[in-house]
Amino acid sequence: MYYREAGQFKTSYKTDQAILPLREDRIGLMLSLVMAVVVVPLVSNDFVLASIMIPFLILALATIGLNVLTGYAGQLSLGTGAFMGVGAYACYKLTTIFPDVNIIVHILVSGLFAAAVGMIFGLPSLRIKGLYLAVTTLAAQFFLEWCFIRIPWLYNYNASGAIEVPERRGFGDLILTGPAADPLTRYFVVLAIVIVFTLAVKNLVRGRIGRQWMMIRDMDIAAELMGVRPLVAKLSAFAVSSYICGVAGAMFVFFYLGAAEPDAFSITLSFQILFMVILGGLGSLHGSFFGAAFIWCLPIVLRTWLPAIGIDLGAETVFHIAQLVIGALIIFFLIVEPHGLARLWQLAKEKLRVWPFPYG
Amino acid sequence: MSAVQDQAHTSQPAPGEVLLEVDNISLSFGGVKAIRDVSFDIRIGEVRAIIGPNGAGKTSMLNVINGFYHPQEGTITFAGKTRRNVRPYEAAASGIARTFQNVALFKGMSTLDNIISGRTLHMKTGFLWQLIHWGPAEREEIANRRKAEEIIDFLEIQHIRKTPVGRLPYGLQKRVELGRALAAEPKLLLLDEPMAGMNREEKEDMSRFILDVNSQFGTTIALIEHDMGVVMDLSDRVVVLDYGRKIGDGTPSEVRGNQDVIDAYLGVSH
Repeated sequence: MYYREAGQFKTSYKTDQAILPLREDRIGLMLSLVMAVVVVPLVSNDFVLASIMIPFLILALATIGLNVLTGYAGQLSLGTGAFMGVGAYACYKLTTIFPDVNIIVHILVSGLFAAAVGMIFGLPSLRIKGLYLAVTTLAAQFFLEWCFIRIPWLYNYNASGAIEVPERRGFGDLILTGPAADPLTRYFVVLAIVIVFTLAVKNLVRGRIGRQWMMIRDMDIAAELMGVRPLVAKLSAFAVSSYICGVAGAMFVFFYLGAAEPDAFSITLSFQILFMVILGGLGSLHGSFFGAAFIWCLPIVLRTWLPAIGIDLGAETVFHIAQLVIGALIIFFLIVEPHGLARLWQLAKEKLRVWPFPYG
Repeated sequence: MSAVQDQAHTSQPAPGEVLLEVDNISLSFGGVKAIRDVSFDIRIGEVRAIIGPNGAGKTSMLNVINGFYHPQEGTITFAGKTRRNVRPYEAAASGIARTFQNVALFKGMSTLDNIISGRTLHMKTGFLWQLIHWGPAEREEIANRRKAEEIIDFLEIQHIRKTPVGRLPYGLQKRVELGRALAAEPKLLLLDEPMAGMNREEKEDMSRFILDVNSQFGTTIALIEHDMGVVMDLSDRVVVLDYGRKIGDGTPSEVRGNQDVIDAYLGVSH
């Protein structure tokens, strides 16, 4: 009843092919944008911004990156963490070599390094598929992690072996990165980048290139017969995916962590992003946000709310319980709804079309 | 539909000339000889049937024509160009489209997206335009949507335009697959058992669409089919394969009277 397309007639292909052809969806998007741009900054304290919202947005972007590769192009990857690391280390090197260039430019350029590395490790995808491809991307994960540890040039020969984010200013004299940067500033920068990237990816997947990725994913033989070159389609998916992951990785260090050891880009991060993709929904952009929110925020919610409702178990125990609950929830979701939160969202919308009547 | 028709005709020689010539093709997998020294031709504008008992090498023949298999011997001449080894996307670019014996649709996409995906070769705008989906990219998208809608009208599948193809019944999936192949505006359309597993009514519908494609768009069609009634009614000429060899070639009535063909289908006492 409340969510319906009845009466919304399209008179041109242009309006029918818009990103959100339904008025209700457009209102929903507007509301979430208002939430993100106005309400969240107004009501949140620094802790919420710096520890929940900023990492959530960055991880959502990384999830979108992996979703391009796995959800849209159908190529499984376990190297996401390492590709994020390439972006982070590239950005660190760039900003220490060229300190005067705006850090945003460096972040966008560092994604290109990740894209190049991603394409190299994507080459095996031309011959192998599925689990076997996942194993070769696993090799990328371990090899790149080894590079982050063993090549001191990458972290400027720091005694700690970590990269530390220097203070960088931009847009007038605003402090964007470093310990002195205001969480609100960082939040708006991250939000702007995530919005622009999400829109760009949406444009890609609804056009020629995204369609070629999905053709390869669904039926590679038929795709080749429609004129898709597997080499171009698969490597472009690896490039775009790794670029986005690289940008997310650079932002992860420069706007969230502040300093990072190679450990930050371990296989754990790869799996975390993969869970966000699976839980959110393969091949769904809003699902990427759902998945990232779920996996990132649930432990925090559990840690703050369990004591708040009187269950005080001590920080360590709560952390472990949160891990257990997340694990159980992932299994539960995969059994009940293998297509993820995005599919649940769609089902809810289909229910709303006819509610409160049993039939539409 | 006339726009589709016009484009299909440009760069095509006059009807009756040879469009595809298969010359002494031999194909083997290890010790198994799938095709042995087969030659035939397909003329522009005709409906050419390839028939034969199971395992005769019909599908292998199609796979050779569109580049999935590379024959050990022989050449294929398509639209004046002779080649032996060609990649499937190169065959597609030269104007060959096909449907598959087991429906090979893009399961995660809607009917409309499947049909637009058939137009991949007609879409060219670069990466940066795609990123902003504006200007040339948007115009191209809308132009191809219009072409796809023409195919949808032609095949009478307007009502399932936005349905994910995985949810469609088998007969409609076959029809969408035909639409996807048509959307490419091919010079030569290869149909691998377009009526397998259909009931009589669905077969009649499909036959009508095949004849309409042939007469309205002037598309040359090569089809594999087991239903002899359908083959005899639809095709202009028939080539018969058995154990990888060509045992008959000619009009349906000629083939029907051919003793080798009768032996192959009914069996012969030795």
